[in-house]
Amino acid sequence: MTRLRDALVGLAEEAPAMSLGENLVHAAIATHRRRRQRRATVAAVAAAVAVVTATTAGVTVLRPKAAHPAAPAAPAAPAAPAGQDAVTDLPDGPVGAISHSYRIPCAFDRATHEADCGVAELRVVTVSGRTYRVAQALLHATGERDTPVAISRDGRMFAYYRRDAGTFVVRDLVKGGERAAPVLVPARRIGVGAMLTLSDDGRYLAFDPREGTKQDATMMDLASRRTTSIPGVYEVISIKDGTAELIRYRKTDLWLRPFGGGGEPVRFKGPHIMFSELAPDGRTVVATEFPEHQKGILTVLDTRTGRALRKVTVRGLPQKPGLTAVTLWRSSSEVVVVADGRKERAAYAVDVESGRARRLIGYGSHWRVNLPGVSYGI
Amino acid sequence: MDHHEGFREFVLARQQALVRTAYLLVGDPHLAEDLLQSVLANVVGQWPKLVRDGNPEAYTRRALVNQYISWRRRPRPESPSATLPEHGFSPVEAALDRLVLRRALARLTRKQRAVIVLRYWEDLTEAQTAEVLGCSVGTVKSQTHHALARLRTLAPELMNAEAEEALR
Repeated sequence: MTRLRDALVGLAEEAPAMSLGENLVHAAIATHRRRRQRRATVAAVAAAVAVVTATTAGVTVLRPKAAHPAAPAAPAAPAAPAGQDAVTDLPDGPVGAISHSYRIPCAFDRATHEADCGVAELRVVTVSGRTYRVAQALLHATGERDTPVAISRDGRMFAYYRRDAGTFVVRDLVKGGERAAPVLVPARRIGVGAMLTLSDDGRYLAFDPREGTKQDATMMDLASRRTTSIPGVYEVISIKDGTAELIRYRKTDLWLRPFGGGGEPVRFKGPHIMFSELAPDGRTVVATEFPEHQKGILTVLDTRTGRALRKVTVRGLPQKPGLTAVTLWRSSSEVVVVADGRKERAAYAVDVESGRARRLIGYGSHWRVNLPGVSYGI
Repeated sequence: MDHHEGFREFVLARQQALVRTAYLLVGDPHLAEDLLQSVLANVVGQWPKLVRDGNPEAYTRRALVNQYISWRRRPRPESPSATLPEHGFSPVEAALDRLVLRRALARLTRKQRAVIVLRYWEDLTEAQTAEVLGCSVGTVKSQTHHALARLRTLAPELMNAEAEEALR
């Protein structure tokens, strides 16, 4: 065998170990079905869009931050106690997965009516309860707008805007090391309600410069150093295996869009808000049809047909103010929601069959909490 | 019975071999997985026909190469970078060969790279390579000639007399 052959064999052995197994099979089958469905139903979808547009015309839905704020993960550890003092700078090396991040806000001097942002900090809390200050993070963009952060759903990866890098970086908290986004993002691009979404493996990062506007978002592949634009009318809910779950409010459309493009939006009848990530079955999501969130009613939606499969009234949540976000799946039957009570904001696991809710964790009085797998702060 | 059962068994049995071919073609582990997944989505659609009167693995290999070559026709929004990706360092000669080869392969055209992978990794004959690429044997010969000549320039240490033999 030649040296060239030897080198080829050696190089081939560096290929990733395919532990995907059934996931690869399912992904291939699902992609095939989406393509087939898209080919077969282009005309039908166009007609359906026209009909649904007509039926939903005149419905006005507010989609402000208040309508779908917070969100929880499936945290395994209790929140760090408020006011924890033993805070050190986040080291470069591994510290372990985190359960959430929060911010120390600027101090406001009532006498001079001036804000002192020298005391402001971004902090992360590990699942073991240690708190670190992310000293290198830029906290505020132009106009004192908060810079967005994101945590992967397992808490291993943390994305934030690094001042000296001039862009977002993804920190591997378990192995250590950091990887910068493939493009610079000037801080002036960060607008009101900017959002950041991070994939489970930290490879994909989506930056929406201004929530609720038509400014395009940017999805970045930190491995291949490529970027792609996401139409501004959509909001990124989650990224899984390189496919972003996008929501267009008011209509309401859901688009499972692969990084390189493709896929087709599906339209739900009626305005829906507070979308969960895609369920483990790869097909359904949970949302609430506006304004049924006030009554704690969730709707299970089929992302392939656009049909509402069933409605579930959640039992066991605080009565008021009530449901504020629907987020990750803990299992094939439980989705995590965030609800506000009179005394605290907490995450609950909701059985999507029975509607029974059980409390998972409270978030205390921390400010601007970010949770694993959720693209916006609470 | 699950009508995808045969496809499932095929993927589970051959996934590692297929991803290695994909990796040699694209040179990036993530892109290799993307390429393979994209191709398998096509394969599953053809599965009943392939099982009945085809060779699923050959079809998949051919689809991998065709998809890889056709990717050059897609927009490529990636930003070129002056810095090479991080790779593990090994002092042994074989590791150096792999580094040299990785860089050299990246400088070949897609068809040249495909020819090298099919001929020297898959060990296909010129006729089989021509069938996979959908071209004539003469084209395979010329592509191989140009690819090896380019490799000889880019990575002379990898090209010995045996490889030169292929030119004749």
